[in-house]
Amino acid sequence: MAFTDFAEYLLTPTPAVIFGGIFIVLLVPVLLHFLLTANVSSLTNLPTILLVGPSGAGKTALATRMERGPDAQPTETHTTTNNHSIEIETPVPSSSSESPSSSGPSAGEHVKFLLTDTPGHGKLRARVFNRLDAMGENDKGRVRAVVFLCDAAALSDPDSLRHAAAYLHDLLLVLQRRASARIRAGAPLAKCGNPVLVAANKLDLFTALPGTAVKSNLEAEVTRIRASRSKRLLDSGVGADEVGSEAQDDWLGEYASQKFTFEQMGEFGIDIDVIGGNVTGEGPGIEKWWQWMAYRL
Amino acid sequence: MLDAFEIITTSGVVLWSRTFTPLHANLINNFISDVFIEEKGANAATRDDQLSSTNPPYKSDQHTLKYTFVKELGVIFVAVYRSLLHLSWIDKLVDNIKTLFVDLYGDQLKKPNTTIIECHGFDEYFDQQVRELEGSASKGAAAVPEGALPQEEPTLSGNLGDEPPLPPGLRYKGRALNGANSGEEPSAESTPNLSPTTSRPSTPSAAAAHLVVGKPGPGGKLSRRARKMQNAGASHGAVSSGDEAAARRTKPVKTAKKGRKWTDDGLADEQDDVQLDYSIPSQTGIAADASTAARSSAVEHVDSSTWGSTTTKGQFILKDLDDEVHDILASAKSKADANNNKSTSASGLLGSGLNTISGLFRNVVGGKTLTKEDLDKAMKGMEEHLLKKNVALEAAVRLCEGVEKELIGVKTGSFESISSRIQSAMEASLTKMLTPTNSLDLLREIDAITRPGPASLRTPRPYVVSIVGVNGVGKSTNLSKMCFFLLQNKYRVLIAAGDTFRSGAVEQLAVHVRNLKELTIREGGHVDLYQKGYGKDAAQVARDAVAHATAEGYDVVLIDTAGRRHNDQRLMSSLEKFADFAKPDKILMVGEALVGTDSVAQARNFNAAFGATRSLDGFIISKCDTVGNMVGTLVSLVHATGVPVLFVGVGQHYSDLRNFSVKWAVEKLLSSS
Repeated sequence: MAFTDFAEYLLTPTPAVIFGGIFIVLLVPVLLHFLLTANVSSLTNLPTILLVGPSGAGKTALATRMERGPDAQPTETHTTTNNHSIEIETPVPSSSSESPSSSGPSAGEHVKFLLTDTPGHGKLRARVFNRLDAMGENDKGRVRAVVFLCDAAALSDPDSLRHAAAYLHDLLLVLQRRASARIRAGAPLAKCGNPVLVAANKLDLFTALPGTAVKSNLEAEVTRIRASRSKRLLDSGVGADEVGSEAQDDWLGEYASQKFTFEQMGEFGIDIDVIGGNVTGEGPGIEKWWQWMAYRL
Repeated sequence: MLDAFEIITTSGVVLWSRTFTPLHANLINNFISDVFIEEKGANAATRDDQLSSTNPPYKSDQHTLKYTFVKELGVIFVAVYRSLLHLSWIDKLVDNIKTLFVDLYGDQLKKPNTTIIECHGFDEYFDQQVRELEGSASKGAAAVPEGALPQEEPTLSGNLGDEPPLPPGLRYKGRALNGANSGEEPSAESTPNLSPTTSRPSTPSAAAAHLVVGKPGPGGKLSRRARKMQNAGASHGAVSSGDEAAARRTKPVKTAKKGRKWTDDGLADEQDDVQLDYSIPSQTGIAADASTAARSSAVEHVDSSTWGSTTTKGQFILKDLDDEVHDILASAKSKADANNNKSTSASGLLGSGLNTISGLFRNVVGGKTLTKEDLDKAMKGMEEHLLKKNVALEAAVRLCEGVEKELIGVKTGSFESISSRIQSAMEASLTKMLTPTNSLDLLREIDAITRPGPASLRTPRPYVVSIVGVNGVGKSTNLSKMCFFLLQNKYRVLIAAGDTFRSGAVEQLAVHVRNLKELTIREGGHVDLYQKGYGKDAAQVARDAVAHATAEGYDVVLIDTAGRRHNDQRLMSSLEKFADFAKPDKILMVGEALVGTDSVAQARNFNAAFGATRSLDGFIISKCDTVGNMVGTLVSLVHATGVPVLFVGVGQHYSDLRNFSVKWAVEKLLSSS
C-alpha cells in the first residue's frame, strides 16, 4: 500500500523528514502573518494627504472635485461625519525626485495617493488628531502632508476667524509635538515635520480675502490664541509636580516670541504655505493646490 | 408633497438627490450635525439599520425630515417635506428607496477609496416609487366611500363593452395606458383575483386608472384617512404580489419569495407559505381559463404582453421597471424574513459545532464578526462598570446601546478581543460626547467682548457670567475661584450679589472679595462687590450691576444667584426673568460630582428654565477631589443636555479650578479601579 509506505516514511526519523518538519514549523507562522497583514498593507501603502479644516470650508467639495476632474459636474456636499479616503492620481508630473515613494507606479508621470477627507465638526476633531498621532512613530510618513482648508470669504468675520485659527493652532500644535519628539530622537530635520498647506478657498466670492491677508489674519489670531492659552487654567488631571515641565510643549512656534508667524514652524521642519484658490466658480481654481500636493508626494 | 429626497454618504457626498422645491442650504447640514454628530435629545441612538418609521422625525421650523441610515455602507436617506402636510406613505418611500438603492448600487458603495457612484438610472426607480405610493394612497382614499364590491362590475363591463370590436388598437391603447399609469398597475392587476370572470389584466388597469385619476385625494382627505389608507395599501401589496407570482409561475424561487408577503406577521410556517403559493396560481389559472373560454383571440395578445415582459423589453420599459422594483423589494423582504427564521432556529449539530470552534479561534485571533449575542454579555459588564463610576442609569444605558449598535457587524482586528474592542469603542463614544462643539477659550472671548477690534463695529461692554445651581453645590466658591483666575489675568471684575434671599450670602461674598483683593492687589487685580442687601429682586440687582459695570469700565461681571431646588417651579420660573434682565454672555451651572441619578433631572430642569431662546452654556463640576475616579456625574449632565463641561473644581483653594480635559475624564471613567 502506498499510503502505509508513505506513513511509515513520514514517521521514520530521517534527516529529510526532520528538516522538512522544521521547515514547515518555522514557515507556517511567517506565512500566516503575511496572510493576515496582506490586505491591510496593500491599502495603506499609498502616501496620504490629510484634508482638514473647519466646517463649511469646502473640504468634501475639493475632494470630490479632485477625484472627478475639473470637467465633471460639481457635486453637492453636506456635513461630513466620517473620515473618508479617496484614491487619486496626480495629473501633473510629480517633480520631487528624492521622495522614496513606497507606492507603486512612482516611475511614471502619475502618482497615486490617498486624500483623506475629514469632518470639520468640533466634536469629531479628536479623530483627526488621533489619526495624526497613530500615523506617527513607526513609519516614515504615511501622512505626507496636511492641507488646511479655510473659507477666505468668512475669515473677515471675527467669530469664524477665531474658530478657524483655533483649529489651525491645535493642528499645528499636534504636528509640532510630533516633530519635536522626532527631533529629540535624532531624526534629520527635513524628515521630522509634515508640510502644511493653508488653502484659502472660495476666492471666487467678492468678499474673499486674498492669500496674503488670510495669512496675516490667521497669524495674528493664532498669536492671540497662543497668548490666552498660555494664561488659562491648568487642565484637570495635571498634578502639582508636573506644573511647569510641559510649558514648552504647549507653546506653538518659537518660545516666548512676541508674534507668531508661519515661518517659525520651520524650526520643527514644518513648512507652511498659504495659497489661494477656489473649488467652484471663476478664479484661480485648484491648479496651484494640485501642484503643491504633487510636489510633496 | 415631497420637497426633496437626498441620498448622502457619511463622507458628505450627495450620491443622488431630487429637489422639488428649493430648500435652505443649511437644512440638511443642521440635520446631519444634530442627529448624527451631536445626537441631540430624542434623536439619539439612531445610528443603525432600522426602518425610517422607527426613527423619530427631525423637525426644523418649516420642514420635517424622515430618514434612515445604512450603517455598513454609510449611506443616509433623507426625505424632506413641509411639516403642515401629513404624508403617510413617506416612511414606506424612504424604506423602499433604501432597499432599492442598496440592492442596485451596493457593490459600488462597498468599493474603498472612491466617492463616485454611477446612479444616473435611479431617477426612474424613484419616480416609479413616488407614483406608486402616492397612487396607492389616493386610491385608498377614493375607494373607501364607494364600497368594495359593487365598484368593480360597472366599470369593468363598460370597458368590456368597448373593447372587443377593435383588438389591435385596443391592445395598443391598453399598453399606452399601462405606460402612463404604471404606478397604479399592480393595484389594477389585483382585480382579476377578486372576480375570476373578468378577462384581461390590462382592462381593469385602465379602469382603475380612471378611478384614480378621477378622484385624486386632496391633502385633507389623506390625513383624515391615514389609517384606512394604510390598510388598503397593505392588502394591496399582498394581492398584487400574488398576482405577480402568478405571472411568473415559471420561476419557483420567485413564487416562494412572494409567498412571504402573505405571512407578514412572520410567525407563519413554511407549510403555510407553500399552500398559499399554490393556491394563487391555481386561482389565477382559473381566471385565465375562464378568460380563454370567453375570448380566446384577445387573450392571446394580453398573455403575450404579460408573459413576454422580457422579450418585449424595449416597449414595456416602465412595466419592467415596476416588476424589477417589486422583485427587489420582495426579495429583500424575504431575505429579512429568512434571516429572522435562521436566527430563531438552531442550525445543524455539525454546523453549530464548527461555528463554535471557529468562533473560539476568532475570539483569540481576531477577525470575528460581532453579533448581538457576542456583545450582550460584555455590554452588560460595561454598563455595570459605568454605573459603578456613578453614571446615571439612563446615560449608561444610552451609551451602551450606542456602542452596541455601532459594533454589531463589525470585524475585530487581528489579535483583538471583544472586550478590548468594546473598550475602544466606548472611549471613542465618550470622547465624542464630552468634546464640546466649540472649545471655549474664556479669556479670548472676554477680550473679544471688552476690547473689540476696530473692524467689528461693536462698542465695548463688560462680559457677564452668571452662575446657577442647586443649594450647597458651591456656587459662591466656584465664582470666587473664577474671579481669582480672572484677577490673575489682570481683569477688572465686579461681583454682583444676586442671592438676596439666604441670610449671610452677601456677607460671604464680601469676605471672598476682601480675600481676593488682598491676594491679588500686588499683581494689579481689581475686584469689587456690588450689593443691594436682602429682599430685593435678584433680576433687578443683576441688571443694575451690569449697568454699573458698564459705566465704571469693569471688564467682567460675575453674578451669584440664590440656590434653588430644580423641581420647585416657583423658584425656577424667576430664572427666565433673570436671564432676560441681566443678559449674561455665559450661564454656567454648578453641579457637584457627588450627586447621583438626580443630576440628569437637575441639568434638564435648569437647562429648560431660561426660556425657549436661552439655555445653559456650560457646567462647572465641583468637588471632583472627593469622588476619586467616580466622575460619572459629568457624563450624566452632558448626556441630559448636550451642554459641555467647562471647569472642574478639584480642591478648597482659590487656585483649585481646572480646565476640563476630555482625555482625563475618559481615562478616569474607563479605569478599572
